[in-house]
Amino acid sequence: MAEKRAEESIFRKRGKEIRSTKTANEASELVAKMYMRGIEAALAGRPISWVMVGCVAEVPLLAMDITPIYTENYATVCASRGAAEPFLEIAEGEGFSNLICGYARTGLGYAHRMVDLGGEVPPEAPLGGMAKPDMLIGCSTICDPRYKWYQSLGRYMNTPYYTFDVLWPPIDADIEAVKGYYVEYLLDGIRGLVSFLEEVTGKKMDMERLAQIQATAEKTREVWWQVHELRKAVPAPMPAQDMLNCIVPGLFMPGEQEALDFYRKLYDEVKHRVDNKIGVIPDEKYRLLWSGGLPPWHAMGMYKYFETLGAVFVTEMAYNLGEPPQIPDSVTDPTERMALGWYYNITNYYEKAMAGCGDPQTQRLLDFIEDYQIDGMVMHGSVSCRATTIGQINQKNMVQEHVKVPTLVIESDIIDARDFSEAQTKAQIDAFIDTVASYKESKRR
Amino acid sequence: MQAGVTIKKGLDQVRELNEHRAERAEELRYQGKKVVGYFCAYAPAELMTAAGVVPFRITGDVREPITQADAYLETIMCPFIRSCFDMAIKGRYDFLDGLVVPHSCDTVERIYTIWQYNRRPEYSHFINVPHIIRNPASHRFFKAELGQFQKSLERYTGTQISAAALREAVALHNENRTLLRELSRLRREDPPLLTGTEMLQVLIAGMTIPADEYRGLLKEVIAEVRGRAERPPTRAARVLVYGAELDDASFIELIEGSGANVVIDDLCVGTRNYWDDIAPTDDPLDGITSYYLEAIRCPRTYRDTPGSHEADLESRYRYLMDFIDEFKVNGVISYVFRFCDTHEFDLPEVRDYLESQGVPFLHLEEDYDIAAAGRLKTRIQAFLEMIG
Repeated sequence: MAEKRAEESIFRKRGKEIRSTKTANEASELVAKMYMRGIEAALAGRPISWVMVGCVAEVPLLAMDITPIYTENYATVCASRGAAEPFLEIAEGEGFSNLICGYARTGLGYAHRMVDLGGEVPPEAPLGGMAKPDMLIGCSTICDPRYKWYQSLGRYMNTPYYTFDVLWPPIDADIEAVKGYYVEYLLDGIRGLVSFLEEVTGKKMDMERLAQIQATAEKTREVWWQVHELRKAVPAPMPAQDMLNCIVPGLFMPGEQEALDFYRKLYDEVKHRVDNKIGVIPDEKYRLLWSGGLPPWHAMGMYKYFETLGAVFVTEMAYNLGEPPQIPDSVTDPTERMALGWYYNITNYYEKAMAGCGDPQTQRLLDFIEDYQIDGMVMHGSVSCRATTIGQINQKNMVQEHVKVPTLVIESDIIDARDFSEAQTKAQIDAFIDTVASYKESKRR
Repeated sequence: MQAGVTIKKGLDQVRELNEHRAERAEELRYQGKKVVGYFCAYAPAELMTAAGVVPFRITGDVREPITQADAYLETIMCPFIRSCFDMAIKGRYDFLDGLVVPHSCDTVERIYTIWQYNRRPEYSHFINVPHIIRNPASHRFFKAELGQFQKSLERYTGTQISAAALREAVALHNENRTLLRELSRLRREDPPLLTGTEMLQVLIAGMTIPADEYRGLLKEVIAEVRGRAERPPTRAARVLVYGAELDDASFIELIEGSGANVVIDDLCVGTRNYWDDIAPTDDPLDGITSYYLEAIRCPRTYRDTPGSHEADLESRYRYLMDFIDEFKVNGVISYVFRFCDTHEFDLPEVRDYLESQGVPFLHLEEDYDIAAAGRLKTRIQAFLEMIG
C-alpha cells in the first residue's frame, strides 16, 4: 500500500521522470560513480576523506589522489531515495536534536550505524554507501554545522580532522582595507590543509599538478557559468531540477577533465535547445525563480508538479555560484588562486549591490528577475537549515520594494520528510500559481 | 547613579535596572552619551568603553509575545534573537544609537543586515569572529578585524582611541570581572549567600549601564550580600545551569522554587563573560584578541584537540568539572532554546562527559517565552528529587 502511494506521488518522482535534458541524467551516473570510487578506494587501501563541499578542498584532494566523499551530498542521495529516515532516527536516539541540520543528522546516524557494524558500510545504504574515511575535512563557511558535524563524529571514529575558517567580510566593510587580511587568513587555512594532507598521507604535494588541476577547475566553472547564461532564453531550455542535479561535477569533481567535459556537453545540449526553441514544457506560461533555500531533496518531483500547471523554474539561486571571478594570470601559485577565487566569489557582487539595493543576495534576485524574465519566486524555508533560510523573508520584502513579484515560501526540510505534507504544499502551489497568473495578466494589461 | 533616575543601592538598584533596562540608557543619552546595542558575549565591550560610548547588551523579553517579527524573520531560528528583533520593531530599542554584531553563530550573523536594513541605526558594525582557532593565523586575522572595529568607532565618535584609553578600559572591565568572580564565590557556601536569580539579575544590570557605574554597583552588592543576616534556605540540590542566552530569571526562579540552589552557571550572559581576565599586553588589542578568541567557552568556537575522543571531551568540558568541584554542584541542568545549533551539536557530548564523571544531567530544549518554564516544571522537579 505504501509503495502504491509512493507511486502515485508526483513529489516523490525523481530521475528521468522529472528531467528534461539528457545530460542531467548523466550527472546521476556521476553520483553513483563517486560512491563507487569510495568503495574501490577502500578495497584498494587508498586514502579516503569525508569532506564538506565548498571548503576549497576539492582540488587539493584530487591532486593528492585522495578519494573524497561529500557527506552532505550523501544525505541528499539518502533523502531522494527515501532512505534518510532510519539514519535521522539513530542520530536523534543519540540525543542530537531533530532541529539540527538534516544532512548532519543523516551523517551522524550513518556513522553510528557503521560503528554498530564494526566499521562496515551499512548494507541498506544507497549507492553502496560511504566508505570509511581516513580523514575528515570541514570548514566554517556558510554555516555552523559544517565544522560542528565532524567534531561530533569524534563519537564514532578517531579520525584526523582538519577544519579551518572560510570567512567573508560584510558588505559594509571597508573592502580595500580588509581584503588583504581576509585573503591571507584563507590562504593560511588552505596551506594548512595541504600540510595536513601531506601529513596524513606521508606524501608531498606536487604543486605543478595542483596548478594544472586548479586550471581545469577554473575552466569548468567558466563553462558551467555559460550554461547558466544560456538559460535566460525563452522558452526555458533547462529547468532548476536539472541544474540541481548537474551541480555534481562542478561542486564535487572540479578539476577533473570529466567534469569539464560534462559541462561542455551540457552546454551543447542546452545551446541546441535554445537555438531550436525547445522548452522544458510545450506551453511555458510562467517563468519561476527558485529564489532561496536548498531544495527539498525528499520531494524533487515537486518541480514537476509546477510544470503540470504551466510553470517552469528557469533558474535557481541554490548552488548558483555566479559569474566566475577573474583572477589575474600573474597569480601563479594555485593556493593563492584558490584563496582569491573564493574571496571574489563572495565579494564580486558587493559593488553592484552597493550601487543597487544594498544587499548582495537581494541584488542577485533583482537581477535574476530582470535577466530571466521572472513571473514568480519560490523560496524554501528548511526547518533544519538556518544558513539558507534566515533572511528569506527580508529578501522577499526588499525585492517587493523594487519590483512586485508574487512569492511563495514553502516550509519543509532539506532531508527530513516526516513532517512534510504533500497535499498542503500542493494547495499552496495551486493558490500561488493563480496569483502568478493574475499578476502576469495585470502586467500584460 | 546619576541624578534624574531613581537612586537605589545594591540589589535594590539591580532589580530596578532589571525592571527598567532602558531608562538609565535613555538618561545617559539625554546627557549626550551614545548608546550602542550589541549581541552576544563576543562583542568587545572594552573597545566601546574606550571609545566613550555605552555598550548595552541587547536582550529579549520572555513576557512579550512575538507579534511583529514574523513579518521579517523566519520561525525556524533562535527564538531569543526573534524576541530581540520583535522588541526593536516595536520601538523598544529606539534609544540605541548603534548596533554591534559579532559573528558568533549563523543566526546572530544574519540578524545584522536584517536589523540594519529595517531599523537603520545611526552606527552599525559587524565583527567576524573566527570559529576555528588556528593560531597564529586566527589571532592575526581577528586582531585585524578588531582593528577595523576600533577604526569604525573612532570614525563614529570623531575621537581617536589611544592605547592608554584602551588599557584603562581593559583594566576597568577586568576589575568588574574580578568583582563578579568574588560575588560568584559567595555562592560556594551552603547555603549560598545569594541566589542564582539574584546573580542573573546582577549580570543583566551590568549589561545595561556603563562599566564604571557597574563597578560601584558591584561593590555595593558584594558588601550587602556579605552582610546579609538572612540567606537563601539550605537545599539538597546544588545546580549548575548550562546553556546560551538565558537573560530572564524566571527559569532560574523555577529551579530554585523547585527545591534547589542554583550556585553557578555556564551561560553566555554568565560566567562565560567574566571567569577569565583579559591579559595585559603591550598592545592592548592583543590581549583583547586572545580573550575573545580563546577564553569564552561557547560551542561556536572549535578548538583542535588531537588524541582520543575522551581526551577531546576532557579538553572541551574540564572547566565544567572545575565549576562542579568548586561549587559543590550535584546536578547540571541544560537549558537551550530551540534552533541553537552549536549548543545542540554539543549536547550529547556534554551529557556523556558529565555522566562519565558521575554528574547527573538534565537537558531541556524549549522556546523563549515565559510559559516555557512552566511547561518544564515537572521534569525539573523529578530531576531535583533524583539528585537531592
